[in-house]
Amino acid sequence: MNTFLQLVVNGLGKGAVFALLALGFVIIFKATEVVNFAHGSLVLFGGYLVVVTRDALGWAGASLVGIVSAGLLALLLERFLLSRSRHADANSLALLTIGVDVIVTEEIVRRLGVTLPFLGDAWDAKPFQLGGITLFRTHLVALLVAAVLITAFTLAFKYSNWGVAMRAQAENREAAALMGIRSSRVTATAWVVAGVLAGVAVLFIATQDFSGAGLSRGTHSIALAAFPAAILGGLDSTAGAVVGGLVVGLVEALSAQYVSFDFSKSAVFLVMLVVLVVRPSGLFGTRESTRV
Amino acid sequence: MKRIYPAVALAAVLALSACSTKAGDSGSSGADGSGVKTGKGATASEITLGVMTDKTGVFKNLGLGITQGNELWAKDFNAAGGVCGRQVKLETVDHGYKADTAKTLYPQIEPKVLGFVQLLGSPVVAALKQNIASDKTVAAPASWSSELLDNQYVMIVGTTYDLEIIDGLSYFQEKGLVKDGDTIGHVYIDGEYGKNGLRGSQFYAKKHNLTVKEVKITSTDNDLTNIITGLKGAGVKSIVLTTTPAQTGSALAANKALGLNVPVLGNNPTFDPVLLKSPAANALDKLTIVASSVPFSADIPKAKEVATKYKAAYKETPNGGIPYGYAVGEVWGAVLKKACENKDLTRDGIAAALKQTTSASTEDLVAALDFSKAGTPATRQVYAATPDASAEGGVRYVKPLFEAPEAKEYVAPHQK
Amino acid sequence: MSDTAVKTPAAAPTAPPPKRDRGRLLKALAWVALLVVLLAIPLYLDAAWLKAGQYMMIGGVGAIGLTLLVGQAGQLSLAHAFFLLAGATGYTVLSGPADDERVFGLGLDPGLSLIGAVVIAALLGLAFAPVSGRLRGIYLGVASLSLVFLGLYFGQSAETLTGGTSTGRTPEPFSLFGFPFTNGGPEIELMGVPIRQAERLWYLFLLLTVLAFVVAKAAVRSRVGRSWRAVRDNEAAASVMGVSVTRAKAGAFAVSSAYAGLAGAMTVLWFDILKPDESEFGTYGINISIAFLAMVIIGGLGSVPGALVGALIVNGLPQVLSLYSADLGWFSGTGDGALTPILVSSFVYGAAIILVVLFEPGGLAAIGRRITPGRKPHLPEEQDK
Repeated sequence: MNTFLQLVVNGLGKGAVFALLALGFVIIFKATEVVNFAHGSLVLFGGYLVVVTRDALGWAGASLVGIVSAGLLALLLERFLLSRSRHADANSLALLTIGVDVIVTEEIVRRLGVTLPFLGDAWDAKPFQLGGITLFRTHLVALLVAAVLITAFTLAFKYSNWGVAMRAQAENREAAALMGIRSSRVTATAWVVAGVLAGVAVLFIATQDFSGAGLSRGTHSIALAAFPAAILGGLDSTAGAVVGGLVVGLVEALSAQYVSFDFSKSAVFLVMLVVLVVRPSGLFGTRESTRV
Repeated sequence: MKRIYPAVALAAVLALSACSTKAGDSGSSGADGSGVKTGKGATASEITLGVMTDKTGVFKNLGLGITQGNELWAKDFNAAGGVCGRQVKLETVDHGYKADTAKTLYPQIEPKVLGFVQLLGSPVVAALKQNIASDKTVAAPASWSSELLDNQYVMIVGTTYDLEIIDGLSYFQEKGLVKDGDTIGHVYIDGEYGKNGLRGSQFYAKKHNLTVKEVKITSTDNDLTNIITGLKGAGVKSIVLTTTPAQTGSALAANKALGLNVPVLGNNPTFDPVLLKSPAANALDKLTIVASSVPFSADIPKAKEVATKYKAAYKETPNGGIPYGYAVGEVWGAVLKKACENKDLTRDGIAAALKQTTSASTEDLVAALDFSKAGTPATRQVYAATPDASAEGGVRYVKPLFEAPEAKEYVAPHQK
Repeated sequence: MSDTAVKTPAAAPTAPPPKRDRGRLLKALAWVALLVVLLAIPLYLDAAWLKAGQYMMIGGVGAIGLTLLVGQAGQLSLAHAFFLLAGATGYTVLSGPADDERVFGLGLDPGLSLIGAVVIAALLGLAFAPVSGRLRGIYLGVASLSLVFLGLYFGQSAETLTGGTSTGRTPEPFSLFGFPFTNGGPEIELMGVPIRQAERLWYLFLLLTVLAFVVAKAAVRSRVGRSWRAVRDNEAAASVMGVSVTRAKAGAFAVSSAYAGLAGAMTVLWFDILKPDESEFGTYGINISIAFLAMVIIGGLGSVPGALVGALIVNGLPQVLSLYSADLGWFSGTGDGALTPILVSSFVYGAAIILVVLFEPGGLAAIGRRITPGRKPHLPEEQDK
């Protein structure tokens, strides 16, 4: 029983971080219908900036720099590449993000060289025991931060001007533009927000508690887990992103122990596949229906 | 109109035939003045050895260290006069740990070299297995899997992974950390590396009635917390790792955080000094590494000499690849010298000399090696070491070269 | 003397517009010249370059299949690498010796095994049809990614078929009617150049690539191609017109998987080994699916010749750069953070994707159409999306 509980705790903790990643992903999709394959690069970029400025600014300052830079990179991507592609539709733009991802990831991995930096100084490797179960501080902080941020965004979507504008744009871009909603501003803000979330997520991913890989190519692979999480929940549903993230974390932890570890990777995608076959737009996604 | 097509075709053919074809290109061969036969990769003044390494992929750290070790050896070897009046030159290519790039680069580098002093990466070695056998190029793969020994041209400098584990478990038992009938865990990467290590623990377990909880992972899995959770639930008394350094760090951190705190045994590639700067650093005291190639900071004269030369020539953080790369060079040197004695510096000559090498000395950088028995590992001895931040290269000995009795009995997969 | 001048009717225009004819003639001549050059290459280039060229042809065959699926039928798929693995395993198992104790084989003739491998891959593609029928757009793309993970798991666990990840298994060398495509068999010389394994494999791959090209072009021009494009452009309208949407999608997946299966069989012949991957990044991993997608984007979605050019760039660049840099000593720095040919080619192909999408989403095919003289695009496959 202890093992089961421990696994659930591990799974939910990692799930919170997947939720943060998936949320950023979904925000971009809602605003622009573009699938951002470069999300992993945003994560790596934010982390790299932390590494570079840590000696000069200390961990807290460096983390801030990392978060802001990830947001800035996202903004740059949107302003200089995506909005300039006049002829391209959403699918082609998604493919463009693949190109960006390749370049940014390879360059950062090259610069990291043989080092293996870890970025969670404030909470990493400080576990404590609670009745036979080990709680990793990183996971707890991640859960807390994720809860705060997600609540903030949900409220913002419902009540703030920006949130309303984004939802309007997601429903019907032309009508929204006719109502005076500046599409470019909404899109740019969405990207910045996604970048910031990626910058926050890296502070939890590049920790010993989360993975032995620190900030490296492995971090980029972990960001890949955002896909099934976002898809599972429904690409245009922020609540779905959260549920998706937690589901992915739990499936990973439980299948590793109760089926086999090498199956756990496939397990996540398999679960996603099953969900999609039953509900083709994800658990909470809006269903497209065509009637002929 | 249709008559134009054959006319164009003819014109193209004539144009092409004006350039010379590659007919008539053949390798150089012959003998020099003193009757030493030479072939590809050896001229009257130079011997070229190939290095196919990883400079950009997942093993670039290790690749860098080994290449630098090779380079240091070549410099020393040439300074001491080379062999048969010839100097050694290294021809290096980067395959980025990609089998397809290696496969294309191979036909380009192969005609230039007598053999390979480094072939890094198990997918690369697998992809080139046929080529090495048909081209008869003796190669030293940077892999210690005894599965490779079915190829007579493969030269493994050191003890193979299965024997490392057998020796290591024997050491643990000697220290009372493991007893007959215990349950142990073995986390291993799928592939040549992991499966070979597992073979060792399975053999030892049978001899001592241990239960092995096997967990297979892939080289890109980096979080072992859930696995260690499961092993804790299974009541293991010790964990064996045949993993990458990042995975080792994760396992040890979880070992400590979850309160399991059992001794951990790792094959030689499981450790990298960068782990000492990670948050897992204070969990590393539970790790014992077994290897047949000394740590960078070893307290033996040759290792110290190599270390000094390294620091003078390169600035990166050293790792265990350096003394290993140097040691492989030394073995090549011994084989070349034997081939010189036999007056045969062709590829066949090198292969024959390799079989005659019953005791290649690397001045204790690696245990004494015997390559004369086909399919059998050249040595079964290992050192045991533990991570230590104050030592250069990050490890220090806890037991010098030894061979367990169980290791003597073990039959390697291709041993005849 | 008659006053009435009989006007002869004005001569009807008999000759077709000369510009159009010249354009077509030039194009055909270019193809012929290209074919001659390709046939002659093994006489001039060394084994290393031949190897690189063969690898580009593998990419070409796979890319043609993917461009039919993604470009013509509008189905985004990231599962291409899985079908490569299926074809590779299919060929190796069908042609492998029946008496090996470690791995299972059926001992069939290599030519038949090649066809069998293609069929197996196509059937697997068809098996995915229920999923592909229900999903659209990016959801289909990510769902197809799960096939790659399934392939990884299969490769690792079905050791009697695949040989396992630690040693893999050796495929039977290809032979056609007894003529082996290895160094053995009858010694052949062409213009003084011995035709051995590298050269023979070049000709085999060239034949397969040409076949793949011709079949794809025919498919695009046929009714099947029209039904794919109808489904791509508007599913509802297509079904109104009587096109069975599910059948078209299933057919597109089957065809594309067949191409991938062929490319997979070519892959094991090229590597001389079938070795399933140890992780999701490898010979049959996510990186390969993405590389094929890149080839197809760069070449122009839906364009068959474009797919070949895309393959030349994506598969060819790392090989060619590595070979050249070894010769010329470029990018040969050792040490941390060195810029190597592999890194450089990754940058180039990432940049190529970005530039294509930014400036010409129709890819190189669209650029090509703009610079060839004369002909107005009238064939439907050339319409940009």
